[in-house]
Amino acid sequence: MDSVDPIRAYLLRLEAAMAGHDAALVHDAVLDADAHLRAAVRAGASPERAVEEYGTPDEVARAYVEAESGPRGWRDVPAPARASASGTDAGSTPGPTEAAAGAPAPAPAARGLRGIPVIGIWFDIRAWGAIAYFGAVGFALSLAYFVWVISLGSLALGLLPLVIGPPLLVLLLGSARAICLFEGKVVEFFLRVRMPRRVQPVAGTGNGEIGFWARIGCWLRDIRSWMSLGYLLGNFPVALVAFVVIVALASVGVALVLVPIGSLLHMPVIADFDGDMRISMLGQELTPDSEGRVFIPIIPALVVGLVGFAILTGTLWIARGLGVVYGYAVQAIQVARPQPLRTMPAAATSPNDPPVIAPR
Amino acid sequence: MAGDLSEKLQRDLSVGTAWLVVLAAVARAEEPIHGYEIARQLADEAPEGITFKQGTLYPMLRSMEADGLLRSTLVPSTEGPARKCFVLTAEGKRVLAAWTDTWRRTGRWVNRILGGIDGLR
Repeated sequence: MDSVDPIRAYLLRLEAAMAGHDAALVHDAVLDADAHLRAAVRAGASPERAVEEYGTPDEVARAYVEAESGPRGWRDVPAPARASASGTDAGSTPGPTEAAAGAPAPAPAARGLRGIPVIGIWFDIRAWGAIAYFGAVGFALSLAYFVWVISLGSLALGLLPLVIGPPLLVLLLGSARAICLFEGKVVEFFLRVRMPRRVQPVAGTGNGEIGFWARIGCWLRDIRSWMSLGYLLGNFPVALVAFVVIVALASVGVALVLVPIGSLLHMPVIADFDGDMRISMLGQELTPDSEGRVFIPIIPALVVGLVGFAILTGTLWIARGLGVVYGYAVQAIQVARPQPLRTMPAAATSPNDPPVIAPR
Repeated sequence: MAGDLSEKLQRDLSVGTAWLVVLAAVARAEEPIHGYEIARQLADEAPEGITFKQGTLYPMLRSMEADGLLRSTLVPSTEGPARKCFVLTAEGKRVLAAWTDTWRRTGRWVNRILGGIDGLR
C-alpha cells in the first residue's frame, strides 16, 4: 500500500531532488508540498492530478534553490547557470535537469577579502556574529532559558501525581518549543544558519478535533518537544564554556594587540616602577626611566602585537566553528520530523488524514 | 538548437511574469488569501499551452514577503491548523502598479513590432 500513495511518493522524490541542499530549505519544500497536495485532495482533486499540477520534483526543487540563492540567500550558493525565477512554463518545455536542481552549486570564484586564507575570517560577518552571540547574547539567553526550564520543570515534576501536573508538563514542553523557535530566529540572525520558515504542529493535533487529554498525549509523544527541552537544558553549560573561552581569548588578544599601539604613542606599561625586580621581554631588559616609567621598545611590542593578532584570528575561527555547530544543532531540532517520510506508515499520509503540516 | 533557444526565450519571458500575476492575484482578492487558493486561481485561469507550476508558488511568496511586497497573517481554519494568508503591503501595491504599467507599455510595443511580421507566418 505504501508504494501507491502518490503524495508520499511525490514527497520522497522531491526530497531526493533537493538532496545536498540546506536541511531547512528541504524541510520547507517538503512541508509546503505536503500541505498543498492534501489541500488539493480535500478540495476534490485526485492525488495524481494534484501531484501533476504541482510540478515535477526537479522543477519545484529548482524554484526553491533559486529563490534561496538570490540576494537574500543565507548561503554562498550562486544561482544555477540556467536561472529562471519563473513559476510559469510554456506547454512542452521540459523541466530542469537534475544537476541544476540537485547538486549544491560551487563556491563563487571571488569572495572578496573573505577569501584570503586564514585572515579572511576578519572580513567574515558570520564570525563577528558568532562573537556577538557567544560573547553576549547567546549566554544571556541560555541562562534565562535554563532558569525557566528548571523552575517550571521542578514545579511540573513535583505536581505530576496531581491532576495539574501533566498540563504543567505540557506547558513546559510547549514553552520549550516556543523558546527553541525564538532561539532559531536569534541563531539565524547572528550565526547565519537558515531556519525553516514553516513550523510543524505537534504530531497528531492537526485536525483540531481531539480532546484535551489526547492533545496532552500528543505533546508528550512528540520527540521534538523533548529535543527542545534537552537543548534548553544542555545549552546552558555549553554556552557558559563558550562564553568563557571566547571572552577570555578575545580579552587577551585585544590587550596584546594594543601593546604596539601603546608603544608608538609612548605610553608606559608601568607608570611608577620603584622595585628591585628586573623586567625582561624577549631577552631584552626593560629599564625604568628617571621617573620610574617602563616602556616596551617597538620591536618586542610588534612581536607581542602579532601574537595578539594571531590569538584574535584564532578566536574568530573558533567562534565561527562553534557557530556552525550551534546553528546546525538548532536547525536539526527544528527540521526534525516525528517520523521520517520513508518510514511513515501509509495511513499517516493518506489523503484523508490530517496533514503532517499545516496547510497555508 | 532551435528548441533550446525557444526554451530559453520562454523562460526569459516568464521571469517576472509569474511574480506579476501572483501580486495581481493577491491584490484582487477581497480578503487575505492563502497560497493554495492563489495557486488554484492561477492554474484555473492559465491559457491553453501555459502551465502554472503550483509548486513554484511558495518560494515565490516567501521571497515577496522578504522583499516587503506581501504581509502574512495566520488565519484560523476549520480544516486544521491556521493558514498563512497574504495581503499586499503599500510597497507591494506601488510595485504592482509600476509593474502593470510597464507590462502594458511593453505589450503594446511588442505587439506593434510583431504586427509587422504577420506576413512571415
